[in-house]
Amino acid sequence: MRREWLVVGAIWAALTALGEFVVTNWSMLPDGYSREAEVVNEAYVLLLVLAVPVFTFMVTMLGYSIVAFRSTGAADDGPNLRSNKRVVWTWLAVTAALDLAVLINPGFVGLRDIRGTQSADMAIQVVGQRWNWTVTYDNGATSTTEMVVPVDTRIRFDVTSTDVLHSFWVPGFGLKVDAVPGRTTQMYVTTERTGDNADDSRLRVQCAELCGLSHADMAMTVRVVEQAEYDAWVENLKNNPPAGAQQAAAAAPTADGGQSDQQASASDQEG
Amino acid sequence: MRPLFRAIKWGVGGYLLGAVAAWALSGGSGSLNGPLAVTLGFILGLIGWIFGIGGWNHWGREWFGLPPRDDGKDDWRRYLRFNTDHKVVGVQYLVAFIAVLGIGGIMAMLMRLELARAGTDFMSEETYNKVMSMHGILMVAVAVAGILGSFGNYLIPLMIGAQDMAFPRLNALSFWLIPPVAVALLSAPLLGSFEAGWTAYPPLSVLAPGDGQLLFNMGVITFGLSSILGGLNILTTVTTMRAPGMTWGRLPIFVWAGFSASLISVLFTQYFAATLVMIQLDRIAGTAFFDAKAGGGTLLYEHLFWFYSHPAVYIMVLPAFGVSLEIITHFSRKPLFAYKAVVGAFLTIVGLSGIVWAHHMFTSGMANYFHAPFMALTEAISIPTGVVFLAAIGTMWKGRIWFTAPMIMATGWVFNFMIGGLTGIFHADVATDLQLHDTYFVVAHFHFTIIGGSIMGLLGGSFYWFPKITGRMYNERLGKIFAFWVTIGLNLVFLPMFWVGVNGMNRRVAVYPADLQRVNEFISAAAFLLGAGFLLFIGNLLYSAIWGPKAPANPWNASTLEWSVSSPPPHHNFPLLPEVVGHPYEYGRPGARHAVLSNAGATHG
Repeated sequence: MRREWLVVGAIWAALTALGEFVVTNWSMLPDGYSREAEVVNEAYVLLLVLAVPVFTFMVTMLGYSIVAFRSTGAADDGPNLRSNKRVVWTWLAVTAALDLAVLINPGFVGLRDIRGTQSADMAIQVVGQRWNWTVTYDNGATSTTEMVVPVDTRIRFDVTSTDVLHSFWVPGFGLKVDAVPGRTTQMYVTTERTGDNADDSRLRVQCAELCGLSHADMAMTVRVVEQAEYDAWVENLKNNPPAGAQQAAAAAPTADGGQSDQQASASDQEG
Repeated sequence: MRPLFRAIKWGVGGYLLGAVAAWALSGGSGSLNGPLAVTLGFILGLIGWIFGIGGWNHWGREWFGLPPRDDGKDDWRRYLRFNTDHKVVGVQYLVAFIAVLGIGGIMAMLMRLELARAGTDFMSEETYNKVMSMHGILMVAVAVAGILGSFGNYLIPLMIGAQDMAFPRLNALSFWLIPPVAVALLSAPLLGSFEAGWTAYPPLSVLAPGDGQLLFNMGVITFGLSSILGGLNILTTVTTMRAPGMTWGRLPIFVWAGFSASLISVLFTQYFAATLVMIQLDRIAGTAFFDAKAGGGTLLYEHLFWFYSHPAVYIMVLPAFGVSLEIITHFSRKPLFAYKAVVGAFLTIVGLSGIVWAHHMFTSGMANYFHAPFMALTEAISIPTGVVFLAAIGTMWKGRIWFTAPMIMATGWVFNFMIGGLTGIFHADVATDLQLHDTYFVVAHFHFTIIGGSIMGLLGGSFYWFPKITGRMYNERLGKIFAFWVTIGLNLVFLPMFWVGVNGMNRRVAVYPADLQRVNEFISAAAFLLGAGFLLFIGNLLYSAIWGPKAPANPWNASTLEWSVSSPPPHHNFPLLPEVVGHPYEYGRPGARHAVLSNAGATHG
């Protein structure tokens, strides 16, 4: 009896050590470009760290039982053990404690870090329409092919939709918010690192809510640049709007109009 | 076969009648497949079909004081008509839903073929959306009704010592509502773009051109009706038809699981039906439930939809909890560990299932103060679910394990469902969900819960009860290979999906960033491997059903009542009602019995 638990405990400890080593050293999550992405990554790793001992315990128990407790014949029954109050209550206490721990951190802590502060240095208006995005900056400049934002800035995105549900997602920023017809939803992002879609496909605005035919292509590239570069870019955008911009804006809300942008968005994504 | 042809004739006739009525109502301007024609046609066609298949014979004639006509011989043709024997209905469900699983699986293979390359190489995005929507709704249907309809109907009366379900005619009706659903869902893509996924979120589902969405709505509403009737029947049967001595505390755990899942289907299914009726009205009657410009709102749909569809995942997995715990108990030769706690856990899950829906909506723009409570409630579900896992390992500990095909499937269920459960926490947690929602991470998560949780229960149960249902043994070696194949294959396909999800691949897309192609190639190859494994399953069971060696009444030496009657069981199950005298799992106590049977030939080791 005691020997069995020693073996199980040893295997569990070894698997747990291995598992924790893997999840803390091998980062499955690529680095983000915003503080929010960092919060998400930290929460992600913390959840993995907490999940590992649970997983390894179950695997150890399953594996050990399958190997050690084989039947020797049809008439061979196990002990008539129906339950064990102490085991059940301990199990409930441990799972409840784990649940509470997860709820507090990363749960409430992460919620506070991501949604807590409702202030921003700048705002960008985002409109989703089948099947492209239009971003409008403070100075009135609009873009439908590329979104450029300054680094080290807290940005509020005011998101809405003109037709069906979309979801405004920049994978590199670590969060998304749905674009809902008739409503404006908000997403706060604090940029922390410069980057370019050319180097990382996660720097793109991607529609994440099924919106019909070209849902997959409803994307635009994102660049996070230094403040000075951003100022120059947005000023230039205002003075020299790209030829495609008015055309897309004019044609946008109808189903057919979106088609023309499909090629452009698709090639954005390949880049 | 006659009733089947009559049902088809009356069904088509009903459809035409509805279409003509729609044409007349619209002043002669509509067509035979316009929006109103599809709606009225489906309703009248459904009524015609039900009357033709047996509704008239089993209800209508009675209303006019006529005796029902004899349907014909009790050979294989009984499976093709309105039959009130719960065992026939169970087999009808099992075969029908394994067929649907096959069609949905083929859709999955087509999707993986397309996703093996980053661009659109194999099919257009329009086709992909249709295939994806079809895969979704078919598999949801399999998960909702696969186990409950088949094993629920076949085994619950046997396990509680009853001669049939409480409402045998209603039981047959709930099965025969399914073929029109299948016709509606499978033909929906032919009526134009069918692209809103199984979730059918408006405004997309309202604006989508073509009338496929209308057929989808009608089909799913009808499926919901079938689900409610089936649930009602199981609840009534378990409540009123238990054999003498079969107290609530002596019910086999599968009966408790079916009972709990039925509670959910009776309590929540109507909300989904109501939302689909609203979409139907928005499309054909000019209402504006979901049109923001006219004062409607889409969040309403999301709330009502998930108010059913989150509890629905417990309709999918609870019966599989029951199947797997049943298998683990009998093949560990030990009483189910912490039986009472498991029953408590099932009922707690039923309760919690109704108050967690908004965790699907953390990114929807709903009010911020919803986030914390829904995160807390959702994470609380891990506590009762944990008890189910405790029961699994507690039962196996110190047992005498028979490592048979169903047992491999049940332990694989523990492993895979645990991955599904642990990754669920990443979606219950708001911070991680904001990033992972609608990505391949969630695709991986729910396939671990639904295949790992529900479908593996269906497959494991198919092996475990195969000798009882067919009277023949399946091939154990092929069964074992398949059980390992599925358990491992599932991990090969879906573990990498977590990775592509966190690396920025969103779900429901035919094209994706090129740097994710290598991993997707691997996923597709693994998916084809997993899909091919199912040929082994079908082949084994089909061959064995016809040519397998004859099975004894109780090949597993198991203690519950279904094994005390012959394989397959006689028409009325028990010539005399059994008397239940003890716990269902009295292994390891010599002389202890679950039930005493009055008929000779009863076997229980």
